[in-house]
Amino acid sequence: MKKLLLTVVPVLVILSMLLSACGGGGQATQAPAATTAPAAATEAPAAPTEAAAPTEAAAPTEAATTEAGGATPEATAATGGETGGQAGTLPAECANVELQYWNPFTGPDGPFMGQMVDEFNAANPNIRVTMTSQAEYYTQLTTAAAADTLPDVAIVHADQVATQAFRGVLRPIDEVVTAMGVSGDDYPEAVWAAGEVAGQRYAIPLDIHPMTMFVNMDLLEAAGITAAPKTAEEFEAAAKAVTSGDNKGFLLTGGFPVQQIFQQMLHQFGGSEFNAEGTEVTWNSDAGVQALQWMKDAQAAYSEPNLEVDAELAAFKSGAAGMIWNGIWQTTNVTGEGVEFNGIATAVPQIGPNAAVWAGSHQLTLPAKQSPDACKDAAAAIFIKYLVDNSVTWAKAGQIPASNTVRGSDEFKAVTPQVDIAPSVENAIFPPSVPGITDAFGPLGEAVGAIMNGTETDIKAALDNAAQRATQILEENRATYGDAPQPAQ
Amino acid sequence: MAVTATRNGAPAARTRRRISLTPYLFLLPHMLFFAVFVFYPLFRGLWISFQNYDFLRPEQAQFIGLDNYAALFRAGSTKFNEFWNAMKVTVQFVLLSVPFLVLIPLGLALLLNTRVKGANAFRAIYFAPWVLSAAVISLIWWWIFQSQGGLLNYYLKEIGLPTPRWLSTMPYAMWTIVIATVWWTMGYNMIILLAALQEIPPELYEAAAIDGAGRWSVFRSITMPMLRPVMIFILTMTIIASFNLLAQPMMMTRGDPRLSTGGGATQPVMYRIFDEGFVRPFQGSAAAMSFIVAAIMIGFSYANNLILRRRGEG
Repeated sequence: MKKLLLTVVPVLVILSMLLSACGGGGQATQAPAATTAPAAATEAPAAPTEAAAPTEAAAPTEAATTEAGGATPEATAATGGETGGQAGTLPAECANVELQYWNPFTGPDGPFMGQMVDEFNAANPNIRVTMTSQAEYYTQLTTAAAADTLPDVAIVHADQVATQAFRGVLRPIDEVVTAMGVSGDDYPEAVWAAGEVAGQRYAIPLDIHPMTMFVNMDLLEAAGITAAPKTAEEFEAAAKAVTSGDNKGFLLTGGFPVQQIFQQMLHQFGGSEFNAEGTEVTWNSDAGVQALQWMKDAQAAYSEPNLEVDAELAAFKSGAAGMIWNGIWQTTNVTGEGVEFNGIATAVPQIGPNAAVWAGSHQLTLPAKQSPDACKDAAAAIFIKYLVDNSVTWAKAGQIPASNTVRGSDEFKAVTPQVDIAPSVENAIFPPSVPGITDAFGPLGEAVGAIMNGTETDIKAALDNAAQRATQILEENRATYGDAPQPAQ
Repeated sequence: MAVTATRNGAPAARTRRRISLTPYLFLLPHMLFFAVFVFYPLFRGLWISFQNYDFLRPEQAQFIGLDNYAALFRAGSTKFNEFWNAMKVTVQFVLLSVPFLVLIPLGLALLLNTRVKGANAFRAIYFAPWVLSAAVISLIWWWIFQSQGGLLNYYLKEIGLPTPRWLSTMPYAMWTIVIATVWWTMGYNMIILLAALQEIPPELYEAAAIDGAGRWSVFRSITMPMLRPVMIFILTMTIIASFNLLAQPMMMTRGDPRLSTGGGATQPVMYRIFDEGFVRPFQGSAAAMSFIVAAIMIGFSYANNLILRRRGEG
């Protein structure tokens, strides 16, 4: 009996330790670098925002992986079929091609894209596209690149194209573009240039999402202003008229998108962030000081001080703000059904002598693969062409189609307010197409945020300091990335 | 096991072999996981910290010796200001949060240990926030503190008090993160302290009562000394956990307010490392930062141990 116990018990103990070791091992993975931090305060976050390019979501958003389909918005008259079908045909030997398509559209824009994918699948029985929308997008893309599990088609923001091309996430698509019959003639110059890296094309613009002015027309009308302002004089008159008591004419925060507003004002006053080659920082010019001074003065005169990021959206929605500037993607959030007053979206006014508007752009790309597949590439080309040709559906999600043809189409003319904002994208500004350019914007964001939040008061010194640090970052980036992307090995 | 085997009268030679092998066999399963998930990544991380490394372009990695570390210690480098600002923010957070994360749970545990009615319910209530994820609690407190229509400012305005910008001005922004963290994790420390309190033999208190000791002297001479080992554990763990602060500022303040010299006034060092290694493609530099932070954490924990142990002996 005792002997039996002696042999059985150790076996049981070892078994149970094996099991508990499995649990222990799992826990150990959470702390890769030395620390043993167990339970208490701070775990890794659940991917709250799109960190890499702060262009998308406003408040903390949830991650979502949506299969194409599901909750599509009101299925408007099938804009699909007629224009899309003839974009190209699959080679004869290809049948039932499966395409993976990734994008960062986790917000209310996702279902619009899902609708386009559904319509494409219905119109092209030989191709089946599966769409995946995810937050923390560039972390997802780069880790997929490391594991060679990249999708066949992916959306990439304009300011990320060069970086991802140099990191081997994307591949050049000159031939695909030529075969598709898409050319730069159909796009505003700046947005087309953003898809070209070191002399090769990596991306086709889908949309342009410009800085947009949102106006509480009820407040403006109560103050005697009947139309949304378009010039500096009209803007200041409107902001001044609305500002009284708890109502503010124009709100500026200390977080996103004040850096983007600064970039826009910098161009309006005749400056630029970088030289054309992206090798020198030039935002500490007189135009830069003028731009930031204008923002600071506007904040002092018409805004509450020290607002945190997104506070201007909340205040606008509560009806206490006359005007705010934010991305066009906020349209459904702060106008129409989203608010209890007459809130409208319109083009930002021209304050300085030059017309300029900050904008982002979603661009369609073919990610790099260890073993490319001609059938998938052909199918991807058909799919991309379809998305571009039918971007009117996408416009309804709150975007401006990048293609001149689509912007000029009768269908787009029915999409309000996007059609009113559309002319401004002719003057959209994009950063130079060099890798790591978003890193160089880091110090600028800190300088503008510090000035607007009052943690720094000397505008020229703040811009100089940021320029000096960004110049160093540009130099380091050149050393890190070299002159041209290395071909995939 | 070995002892039982000897009692059984097995030959000495066999016994010795069993003694040497058995414990290691027991350790082996965990050792495997430890090796794969801790040991290997640790040394791989150290190796990466000596390189100019991007995980997407490993073939272009260059060995650069201590350059990544040197850049962090050289004033005027692109990393210097942001990294040390983040370090300062982290240490500030540790100093502000750890006292509350130890004292409030101690108070709660003492209260719950007095056999109040419904102690179980209170225990569950205080512990409840701890089961929530960082994202959830950050969002809850963001809604409370945000300036336009946030819960706190709404009521402050109702009763005619000033309504500060909690999330975008100092020192409030740091305090919002401290408050959210304390509310979130105090229940965990409370449970451990409560268990430790219940382990203290009642005879000690009975003896003290017979000797006519007052409440304060009972607490000082019996409760505190008996809690000391658990206190050392809790302090060490809480300091390490506070050093690892990341999600709350990421979601509540985004590291703001920004500083023109680099970084943000609530941007902790884990945020900096995440940014460096995942938003930007500088895994080598991020690894170097991790090792510096790890060294500082080990230093903190060691000092903490030394101080508390010595006081215990003296």
